[in-house]
Amino acid sequence: MAYSEKVIDHYENPRNVGSLDKNDPSVATGMVGAPACGDVMKLQLKISDEGIIEDAKFKTYGCGSAIASSSLVTEWVKGKSIEEAGEIKNTAIAEELALPPVKIHCSILAEDAIKAAIDDYQTKQGK
Amino acid sequence: MSTLNYFELLDMTTGFDIDLPHLAEQYQTLQKAVHPDKFAHASSQEQLLAVQKSAQINDAYQTLKEPLKRAEYLLTLRGVDMPSEQNTFGDTQFLMRQMELREMLEDIKHADDVDGALFAAQEELATESQAIFTLLQQQIHENTSASNQMACDNLRKLKFYKKLDIEVERLEDSLFDD
Repeated sequence: MAYSEKVIDHYENPRNVGSLDKNDPSVATGMVGAPACGDVMKLQLKISDEGIIEDAKFKTYGCGSAIASSSLVTEWVKGKSIEEAGEIKNTAIAEELALPPVKIHCSILAEDAIKAAIDDYQTKQGK
Repeated sequence: MSTLNYFELLDMTTGFDIDLPHLAEQYQTLQKAVHPDKFAHASSQEQLLAVQKSAQINDAYQTLKEPLKRAEYLLTLRGVDMPSEQNTFGDTQFLMRQMELREMLEDIKHADDVDGALFAAQEELATESQAIFTLLQQQIHENTSASNQMACDNLRKLKFYKKLDIEVERLEDSLFDD
């Protein structure tokens, strides 16, 4: 299948690959997976006391579209508030990367990863 | 078209435990009965029915011979609401472990003893997936709405292990290619 130029760019030069210290109270971790393809995605956000995302890292095992979706998301969320980040929709990710219909679930996975990370942050803050 | 389920179609007892050699025998016998040669002089209507029947028998066999497909089919027959494959799986602990296993596979090519590391990884994957498979088997046998739901969950987990097996094969090919 032909990947779009943007997918190839993110796949070959992924932004923000890596990990943040998951025990740091300001770091939120979102883990999601897709049974259909066995993809596993980890998204970590470093969030300031004001609720602004200062840093984002990802690690994804999956196809090019899954890697590109998570790479793009790390670029998009930086500098945003957690509320703004929570509003990012998979359709916007799919559109930006020109994902074909069979790869839409990769963008859903990335959206769910943001939500999972925000949930984790709220759980951590609630403690 | 018949409304028999796949087990009934192949004249097997509906259930998870299955006698595979017997299943294969049933498949062969039934396929022979609908073989096109037998319908060479039949009406086009009968020929069409035979072809449809043959396709059905084939679908049934492909589904029942493979344990995960059989489990999924059986749970569907029981009316269990199967989450779509596209639905995101969010069991963090399980996914963390999946990440670790992926990292373990990545490290194999840098190991001093590549063969040994690969073998150890395969053993580890087999042990973990077998443990989940045993649970799945028990939950399917128990057949309560709670146990069927848990079986669904384990079925989804096993799909991740299936993917890991494919990754291991790919790794083996790349390591021993030259």
